[in-house]
Amino acid sequence: MESIKSSDVFKKFSGIATSLKNSEIENWKKQGGKVIGYFCPVIPEEVFIAGGILPFRMRGTGSTTTDSADVYLKPVNCGFPRHTFNQALIGEYDFLDGLVVNTCCDTIMRLAVDWEHAGIKTPFIYSLDNAHAGGEAMVGHFRNQLQKMKDAVEKYFNVEITEQKLQDAIKLCNETKLLQQKLYELRKLPNPPITGSETVAVMVAGSSMPKEQYNKDLKTLLDELGNVNTDKKYSARLMIIGCGHDDTLLCDIIEELGAVVVTDQTCFGSRVMIKTISEEGDDPLMSIAGYLVLDVPYCPKTIGTHPERKQFTMGLAKDYKVDGAVGQCFISCDPWAAELYLLKSEFQEAGIPFIWFEREYIPDLIGQLKTRVEAFIETINN
Amino acid sequence: MNTEIKVEEVDIYKELKTEFGGLGANSFQGKMQDYVKSGTPIVACTDDFFPELFEAMDLPFYFVVRQGLESAFHAGRGPEAVDGYDEFNGASTLCSLQKASAYLLVKDLLPKPAAIVMTSTSCDAQTAVNELMSNYRPWAEVPRISVDASFEKDEASMEYLGKQWIQTIPFLEKATGKKFDLGKFKEVCEESNKQTQLLFDFQELRRAVPSPIRAEWGFIAYMGCRWSACGRQEGTEWMQRLYDATAQRVKEKKGIDGVTEKIRYTWFDILPCWSDKLFPRLEQEFGAVNLMDLYGYCAPWPSIDTSSLESIFTSMAKRFLIGNPMTRQIFALSSVYGGDAVNIAKNFKCDAVIMPGHIGHKDGAASHKIVKDMFRELGIPFFVIGCDVFDERYMDPEVVYQKISAFFETSGLT
Ligand code: SF4
Ligand code: SF4
Ligand code: SF4
Repeated sequence: MESIKSSDVFKKFSGIATSLKNSEIENWKKQGGKVIGYFCPVIPEEVFIAGGILPFRMRGTGSTTTDSADVYLKPVNCGFPRHTFNQALIGEYDFLDGLVVNTCCDTIMRLAVDWEHAGIKTPFIYSLDNAHAGGEAMVGHFRNQLQKMKDAVEKYFNVEITEQKLQDAIKLCNETKLLQQKLYELRKLPNPPITGSETVAVMVAGSSMPKEQYNKDLKTLLDELGNVNTDKKYSARLMIIGCGHDDTLLCDIIEELGAVVVTDQTCFGSRVMIKTISEEGDDPLMSIAGYLVLDVPYCPKTIGTHPERKQFTMGLAKDYKVDGAVGQCFISCDPWAAELYLLKSEFQEAGIPFIWFEREYIPDLIGQLKTRVEAFIETINN
Repeated sequence: MNTEIKVEEVDIYKELKTEFGGLGANSFQGKMQDYVKSGTPIVACTDDFFPELFEAMDLPFYFVVRQGLESAFHAGRGPEAVDGYDEFNGASTLCSLQKASAYLLVKDLLPKPAAIVMTSTSCDAQTAVNELMSNYRPWAEVPRISVDASFEKDEASMEYLGKQWIQTIPFLEKATGKKFDLGKFKEVCEESNKQTQLLFDFQELRRAVPSPIRAEWGFIAYMGCRWSACGRQEGTEWMQRLYDATAQRVKEKKGIDGVTEKIRYTWFDILPCWSDKLFPRLEQEFGAVNLMDLYGYCAPWPSIDTSSLESIFTSMAKRFLIGNPMTRQIFALSSVYGGDAVNIAKNFKCDAVIMPGHIGHKDGAASHKIVKDMFRELGIPFFVIGCDVFDERYMDPEVVYQKISAFFETSGLT
């Protein structure tokens, strides 16, 4: 096989990642299944799965305008929530039975109220208060916040989320994480059988369809990747760093220029699968809270945690033998911009070329972006 | 609060301003250079969450964002600091106040602390600068503590924050060598309670028609009681004098000198650093009086319960999360943000509400529609501008003036 692009499973993943509605969701809904949208990996999908509900990670895929959302959100607000909200306002999210937002940033934390006020017909809306600083002291409190969210889901959807069901959901999602880890392992090869763009599609699909089916499909894909021709030479091995990297735009630009993206520190990528949740212990919510507060690399909105993020990001750069790193953050995302500013000098000190820029979530023009990336790759190759 | 004194209004307010300057000069902040010279341990923190603790421990402290305001904008160096920040390529849309703070930090213009205390409020820009600050190389060895403040405001969340704050005591003792004394701490908290009660009573006076004084006095009172002389008797006495002077004006039904009050409005944000280019013109042209801003607004602050160490910190957590200006409105739901605007408009009998829409306030921008609808229902004219309350270059004060003039005219207020 020349490239995984010709695989049917890959085509399926790619189709799911490049649209909001998909046939898996349609089938789920036809069978009476419920769907909850959630905004960030700090919101544990395990709780919804344990309640028999399909979690769908929110994104603005397919959006071309923010005309409708502009009534509520302004240009100073990040494009990711603006486009996503716009999609909801024009009915693209009418398959949602619920929405969970978290207190991740100034815009998102206000979105639940905007959503309701705008009359979007999502019957269940919940705001989860996540930890904003790192450390052991936050785990118990966050566990209690998760308990409240679980109780609200149980009450509204009339389901019982038992400990056993939570344990089963943890196992199921851990299986996903382990499979995704295998996928990432392949990217460590000198000539990876899967590109960065292709990986984004696989990862995004993972949060947009039922996990059982995804795991099955991903196993097939991993088998197929064994048959992909790995002779292709790339001009540079790069990593991507940034927030909700749910599109292939940046990877496409990089890879069209002859380089390859071999890993990432993003919230649709390594951040969601780098570790698994403990299956030990008799309090699964505590295991989930411990995982989200202590095990997953901290989000830059979590104060005092840059050293851990730096260590994690540098570790990835080393493990995947990257020649350079490209940071991107959406315009208006102050926490990520500060993070990339700090990482830039740290990477450069470590002798790893680093570039970062702000971009629109859905840019009108990509010429400038392309020019900068091109110059960066040329610098590396020189 | 009914001390009867004969007030010569102009002089007494001049005097109060001079005394306010004295409080500032005598504060930790005012003596910062002396502490630096003498090598006294200083604490850098991210907000004014518990000035009482620093006062009780006699521990000089500063909070970084205030440096941006005072050392950059109030010192006339705001644009230089903002441009300087932009040159080193940080977040382009960061609030200009935080840009200035970050500039001071990176240019090594802030005193090196012996300890850093951070609490996770209130906005994204603050988070960004927290991370810059705690990773600023020359401060790499400085001990630091990060505290998580809950977005939720229930009892458990207050205890959660309070418990974490208690941990700052052994941390500060170790990092600075200063000792904590519970008795002293209680005294300071009790004094602070008197001050916040006075702040609230003072605010109640300002509801009078005509407004006895300009809105800037709300912010000055806040700075005097919270930033310069929190928990100090001299601060309480100064605040009492401010209260008394204002009570006298209210009694005499005196409005702002030289202004015939015709339009009462609230500027629902921080007072701009370029206030002098806007408010006096609006007063003279339209008789429009600004009654309130976010720092001048004192939602009823829970008093500090001094019965135990735990109760002190839990009640301080409440005070911070549901009382502290900005933290209360920014780190909260639109209902609190809009609710405060509505309360001000109703309680202060406002004819109009102006939302400056400071460009740093991403939270506010995500709430304007909701707040606008609240006012539409109430029938109170409401206007969002979209300026930068710190850096006037973003929107010229002349343009702001013209926009407000047009708003007053089209709303039938003139
Ligand atoms: S950066 Fe990632 S973890 Fe943080 S708020 Fe955004 S999506 Fe969530
Ligand atoms: S990219 Fe940043 S600003 Fe945008 S939604 Fe995510 S955390 Fe918020
Ligand atoms: S003025 Fe607003 S945006 Fe700027 S630092 Fe303060 S709270 Fe944040």
